[in-house]
Amino acid sequence: MDLLDAHLIPAVDGVAFGLLLFVVAAGLSLAFGTAGVLNLSHGTLYAIGAYTGAELSDGTWGGLALGLAAGTAAACVAGAGLSAATAPLARRGHLAQALLTFGLALIGGDLLIQFFGADELPVRVPEALDSSVTLLGHRYPAYRLCFIVMAVLLAAFGTWVLTRTRMGAAVRAAADDPQMLAATGHSPRAVHTGVLAAAGALAGAAGVLGAPIIGPGPGTSETVLMLSLVVVVLGGLRSLWATFFAAVAVGEVQTLGVSVAPDLAPYLLFAAMAAVLVLRSRFAEPATAHGPEGPAPDPVARLRSHLAARLRRRPRGAAGSGAAAEAPGAVEAREASEGDRIVIAPRTGRSLLPAWTGRLPGGAAWRQAAPLLVLLVVLIALPALLDAYSISLAGSALALGLLAVSVTILTGYAGLPTLGQTAPFAVGAYATANLADAGWTVGPVQIVLSALAAAVFSAVVGPAVIRARGTTVLMITLAIGELTGAVVNQLKSVTGGADGLVGFPATRALWGGEGMLEESELYNYALVVAVVAVAVTLLVLRSPAGKLLTGTRGAEARMRASGHPVGRYLLVAHVCAGALAGVGGSLMVTVQQYLSPADVGFEIAAFALLAVVIGGTTSVIGALLGAGLIVATRDWVAGSWPGHGPLLLGVLFVATVYVLPRGLAGLRSGGSGGGSGPSRDASRAEDQPPPAPLSAPAGKVSP
Amino acid sequence: MLELTGLTAGYHGGTVLHSLDLSVPAGTVHAVVGHNGAGKTTLVHTVAGLMRPSAGTVTLDGHEVTGRPAHRIARAGIGLVPQGRRVFAGLTVDEHLRLSYRPPHRGDTTRPSVWTPARVLELLPRLGERRGNRGTDLSGGEQQMLALARALLGSPRVLLLDEPTEGLAPVLVRQVNELVTTLAAEGIAVLLVSPSPAQAVESARALTVLTSGRMTLRMTGEEARADATSLHAALELTATAV
Repeated sequence: MDLLDAHLIPAVDGVAFGLLLFVVAAGLSLAFGTAGVLNLSHGTLYAIGAYTGAELSDGTWGGLALGLAAGTAAACVAGAGLSAATAPLARRGHLAQALLTFGLALIGGDLLIQFFGADELPVRVPEALDSSVTLLGHRYPAYRLCFIVMAVLLAAFGTWVLTRTRMGAAVRAAADDPQMLAATGHSPRAVHTGVLAAAGALAGAAGVLGAPIIGPGPGTSETVLMLSLVVVVLGGLRSLWATFFAAVAVGEVQTLGVSVAPDLAPYLLFAAMAAVLVLRSRFAEPATAHGPEGPAPDPVARLRSHLAARLRRRPRGAAGSGAAAEAPGAVEAREASEGDRIVIAPRTGRSLLPAWTGRLPGGAAWRQAAPLLVLLVVLIALPALLDAYSISLAGSALALGLLAVSVTILTGYAGLPTLGQTAPFAVGAYATANLADAGWTVGPVQIVLSALAAAVFSAVVGPAVIRARGTTVLMITLAIGELTGAVVNQLKSVTGGADGLVGFPATRALWGGEGMLEESELYNYALVVAVVAVAVTLLVLRSPAGKLLTGTRGAEARMRASGHPVGRYLLVAHVCAGALAGVGGSLMVTVQQYLSPADVGFEIAAFALLAVVIGGTTSVIGALLGAGLIVATRDWVAGSWPGHGPLLLGVLFVATVYVLPRGLAGLRSGGSGGGSGPSRDASRAEDQPPPAPLSAPAGKVSP
Repeated sequence: MLELTGLTAGYHGGTVLHSLDLSVPAGTVHAVVGHNGAGKTTLVHTVAGLMRPSAGTVTLDGHEVTGRPAHRIARAGIGLVPQGRRVFAGLTVDEHLRLSYRPPHRGDTTRPSVWTPARVLELLPRLGERRGNRGTDLSGGEQQMLALARALLGSPRVLLLDEPTEGLAPVLVRQVNELVTTLAAEGIAVLLVSPSPAQAVESARALTVLTSGRMTLRMTGEEARADATSLHAALELTATAV
């Protein structure tokens, strides 16, 4: 009883927090589930509401009402604007949307700071509510209780609109089959705009009302976005009730969890998210393309269909014959492979080792290699052209470039879009820093051991990643990245915690050499390592091993039906990409001579993915250039306009989406052909109209 | 009255439908017959506005609707019953009816007849018994009825039926054919697309055979009913040609 008593206040706080998250996440889920927009600027919409509310709040009811009206309207308009901005990307998949909305979020965040200042704004609630009431013997802020009531009303109203009105029916129909909605005389475009405007309004209203809970400040958008992503992932897209319970659960983890188990709290959230995703992708029913439905379907019916799905699935045979057990996939594959020839290398044994057969005829090979060679020449000449600071930036860009290349392998070739490559990157980085601290300062040793450590890490987490597809992978890898970040912050003896590591001995390029301290020395070392790593990557990707990956990405069912152990290919690819990221991490430590959690945080993960999208998803050189462009914009160009790195990056992202639809790789000969990879398949795979993208890809997963 | 002139359409550079001329007077059924890949669905989608034609015009009672977005074409009075029914998985029958019910504007007296949910349920009583069920819980025949109801509730001048008897039991096929005749008698112009000549011959005032996107034969219903040899010959021919 005492325990219950001690945690009552955090528990009630958790409800308030959870309801706040529900209102925000419902909008995110609605935008994603029905309008198909992966909105990474959703947190910014909340921030717009929160800033507006805080600015207009003056401790009166009128101030609150005015703030609510203005904040809701502003976020609603922003949501409608977002609809207009994403309309041209309708056929380009979620990665392009992610690039655009992330860019808009950066721009929006910068503008909000311009307008309202970099400090957290104080929020004044109406005086009548600025007191505390007695709740089971405890004092509790009246505003929070009032907020709980308002959030419940808002949620109930939203649910009623979605499930009981004609408008709600149109929204659900648009999620299911926009063409048929149009054939009944409703404009799907108008519905999409309405949904995004409503999602914006919800986020804005939540921002105004929730400002006393998650206040307006520079970190607001990211916090809100992360938490609501977790809620959407936990709750799935099928039912508002599931979202509701997920939101309250997340709220409780953030409040009650911290008060009950402070040591575990940093891990709880993302561990829960990873667990749910992994379980869901393992036990998912075959994709039945259900749209997100209003109320939760009858639980009994759901259980029944789940059991039926389980019974249908026969026990798993050997990897080869297992294909026959997946009825839907196999049938589809058989039908498909009758029609068109499969352009995949014949099965070449079980290893993914490069066979030196992927050579191109001389002229074509030169033409293909030309951009890389030009880039190499420029990179070699850089130390002679730049000052010391810029050279060290270029070294960091190389490290980030390797990270981006590892993301390309997964995203572009294996079809696993990842936000978690910073995890093996971090493993490599901290391995190198600790090795140096222990006296192992020889470069190649550091590189190899870091790569090994990262590879082992990737092998361990790999099984969780490779079963999922599409957006689910993004979320699982996001959770892995965030969990790694939490470990980095907690494990102070190894990582130095939030302070990071500094003052370890410099790396020696080879046995017997001196520690490298000069920027140009470090840069040259980084360049040599990067060239070797990229060369090996290219050879592997050009070999039959790369073709097997490409085939898996483009036509997984066909690959399975022709007897390929797809899961094993993906795992090997995941391990190799991890090792490459580890090399990148090692390089970064060597070049920077210090290491902090921010170097391996979410922002870097997002930049790596966006570098890949900028580069053209399947182009190694594109990824390198993309990483270079991002580092140059953030640290070099922004040097002449201090404090506006995010704004410039945002503009870069937004401009890239519209100007270079196929990324930097699309600039070359204006074609997607060549050996640069499965870009056509890539765009098609992303194009699939997503009725319920978070849950739909799960159907492709092997039992 | 639906009129197509020189209608040409395709996907990603490849033309599927080549310069088709066709007219369906109000109150009649025009059947388009052809094998898989002949361009039948492309034709229907182009008329319904789900695809943009690369050339040619679609005219509805003298008003050109070519290239308008699909929802405008639907409001102008073209109802679509698509291949595979495509009912909304998450919506109940009742919600389908409510969502699709679009009475014509006040003063628009040119519609052949005005359909309300009550009248549609009178025509398709089976749907009335399943009002609370979701689209995907219905049987194939019921889904076909629902798709038809959805198109009728816009009080269409023209009804596009894309393989409406696909996968239905013979007794239901007969029922659908009777419905087609009934609706034409209401004054609706029906464009019926089907791979089987049998259904086409039964109710059509005119027939078009489509081969690789081109018209290869046109005849009246009477001619076809009197002697189907040339119709079958045209289809046989296409089978070997394709």
